[in-house]
Amino acid sequence: MKILSSYSIKGGVGKTALAVNLAFALREAGRRTLLLDLDPQGAATFYFRVANAEKFRMRDAGSLAEGLRRNIRESDFPGLDIIPSNLGYRHFDILLDGMAKRRRQLRKVLEEFKPDYDVILMDCPPNITLLSENVFRASDAILVPVIPTVLSRRTLEQLAGFFRDEDLPGGMLRPFFSMVQKRNRMHREIMDDLPAAYPGFLKTVIPFSADVEKMGLHRMPLLAYSRASTAAMAYRALCDEILCLAGP
Amino acid sequence: MGGGVHGKESVRLTLPGELGPERLREEWDVDIHPQESQALAFWDTFEWGLWFGGHVLYSSGGVYRLCAREGGWVGAVLCEERAGTGQRFWRDFETGAMRSRLEGMLGLRGLAPVAEGIFRLRRCDVRNGTGKIVCRLEWASVSPGKRGDGDLFHSCRVMPLLGYEAEAARVVEHLVRRGARTSGDGPVEVLLRHAGRVPRRYTLRPVFALETDTPAREAVGRIVLAILEIAERNVPGIVNDFDTEFLHDYRICLRKVRSLLSLVKDVYPAEETRRMRKILVDLARQTNRLRDLDVYLLAREEYLGLLPLVLRPALFGMFEDFSAEREREVRRAISKMRAASTRRHLREVEEYFSGETPHEPSPAAGLQVGPLVFRRIYKRYLKIRGIAAGIGAETPDEAVHRLRIECKKLRYLMEFFAELIPKEEGSAMLRLLRRLQNRLGEFNDALVQQRSLMNYWERKRSGSGVALGVGGLVAVLYRRQQQARSLIDEELEGFCGGSTAQAFKHAFKLPVPHPQRK
Repeated sequence: MKILSSYSIKGGVGKTALAVNLAFALREAGRRTLLLDLDPQGAATFYFRVANAEKFRMRDAGSLAEGLRRNIRESDFPGLDIIPSNLGYRHFDILLDGMAKRRRQLRKVLEEFKPDYDVILMDCPPNITLLSENVFRASDAILVPVIPTVLSRRTLEQLAGFFRDEDLPGGMLRPFFSMVQKRNRMHREIMDDLPAAYPGFLKTVIPFSADVEKMGLHRMPLLAYSRASTAAMAYRALCDEILCLAGP
Repeated sequence: MGGGVHGKESVRLTLPGELGPERLREEWDVDIHPQESQALAFWDTFEWGLWFGGHVLYSSGGVYRLCAREGGWVGAVLCEERAGTGQRFWRDFETGAMRSRLEGMLGLRGLAPVAEGIFRLRRCDVRNGTGKIVCRLEWASVSPGKRGDGDLFHSCRVMPLLGYEAEAARVVEHLVRRGARTSGDGPVEVLLRHAGRVPRRYTLRPVFALETDTPAREAVGRIVLAILEIAERNVPGIVNDFDTEFLHDYRICLRKVRSLLSLVKDVYPAEETRRMRKILVDLARQTNRLRDLDVYLLAREEYLGLLPLVLRPALFGMFEDFSAEREREVRRAISKMRAASTRRHLREVEEYFSGETPHEPSPAAGLQVGPLVFRRIYKRYLKIRGIAAGIGAETPDEAVHRLRIECKKLRYLMEFFAELIPKEEGSAMLRLLRRLQNRLGEFNDALVQQRSLMNYWERKRSGSGVALGVGGLVAVLYRRQQQARSLIDEELEGFCGGSTAQAFKHAFKLPVPHPQRK
């Protein structure tokens, strides 16, 4: 089982669009996939027409894994399940804080889902908290959408800096260009030089697309309603690239 | 998907014909997908090996699918294979998964169609207020294979999506309120019944409902009739040459009845009993050669495997000869089996034991079957011990053969009257007996096969290549015979040794004096 996360310190970079469409592409590739929506905004949850998760009470669940398990919902697409967002996840930090090895708890919890899934994909909130740190330590790869702009470059540098400071393996960071407009000169320039600074930079580029924005209307992944669009094909290519990295 | 998360169960409902998925639109958004229609032929063996093995095999559009059986419903597809027609035995399939699964359930049995049906399926998705699918439905109607026949069965399978079980339960409730039922036969059961077929356990060892004080003649008559009935059930399969096991079982039945009549003497008048046994011997003789050929041909691969690769082709001709002879022999046997005289003889034996035929009195007719049989079992056991005591390394094969025959008689006795023997003790004794019989059987088979190979060679005298092949095989079989012989002693010790002897004595030696003969 591989654990992937879709993460960025900056909001509005295509993080949830990645999580939703990558999850869909993974199940199309035959991987039993669990999408864990950790973002309290719950956009991924919304796209799959799933209601928010029940209030999470550790007392009732007995364990964190059991609490998550109870909230698993089967999506409309066989092979893809989702644990919906829950405002209560903001208490995860407090919950994790009270545990031994508090920075590594999440990995241990997610390992319990190994018999049921080939991939767990987490859609993360745009901040750095104890939960984010757990996500970093739980993940086999952290996928970071980067819009080729100065501000995005800066947040990527911040993230890399955090990894260095906290002795996290920087190789797990897998940035890729998102919402790219090829006709934008600044986009082109940043795309020319940024990857050189990050050995893990993925080659696939996700173009800016109005089709992606319509996901909110359709309430389903782009790949489900516009299979042949350029952006859909890009997500599928990204999925292939990630599967090649991750092994079978 | 497996594992703990996805263990959810679907609910199968039997529906009244007029209840369609449209009715769910009263409460839910329902996507109804276009109807799919499939003609399915279901397959099983004479023994219902698949059905009782918990499986269903059907073919449709040239594809065979082996599925789990869930009651009378077709469950999950376990494996499938695209195949032409004429698939009868497990080895006629090509994929490893299909072959290995079928081999265990079919053995030497052939597959025959048991029912046909046309399944019309409408898949539906039920959505909640936000448009999320909460359960999927399979709406099915089943009609028999022939055109123009009406529907026999309507059903709906409600498959909840994980996390939406409560909504699915509401869908089930909604349908139940409108006449759906959660119990009742499934579509396969309904089709089988329509075709006049009921899966029935097949055994060569039926229950005869005997009591220890059942009069001996009544008990023996009941056993004979039950076994003859099994023999009769096998006749159509022999006449159609469907698989080798029909003949095998038919012959076992005849032998068992014959054996029973000699094992419990004096229950019927001696002269008539002799006549019945003679009829049974003659009936069996009609198919002696055919059974021999079946045995050789079934062992073809095993025989070839005993020889080095270079010698194997030498035997191809022999097996071709056997095959050709079998063709002739099967035609001969079929015409014999179909002949009025065979039918008449079988009927004559049946009528004799039917209980309606008046018989002369005989010494043991009215005795209680329990004590009578126990005495005979114990006597037989002592006889085996006697023979066994005289068996050493130098004893001629003939004595071993006698031992084998006596063991077989004891086995039959213990099986016929198994209901009267305490279960635990009986099965422990039978286990030891079976082990001994297996060794004796191996010894005997190796001996008989050598003789028959030599006979073949005597008759053919063809080419030195064949001589090498046959000679090689005879040498291997001789070695096998010797090995079996050396192992017999070991098994004899177990079966005739102190603790088993004690067990036989305890179970079968009766304290009562021998009853007065009338």
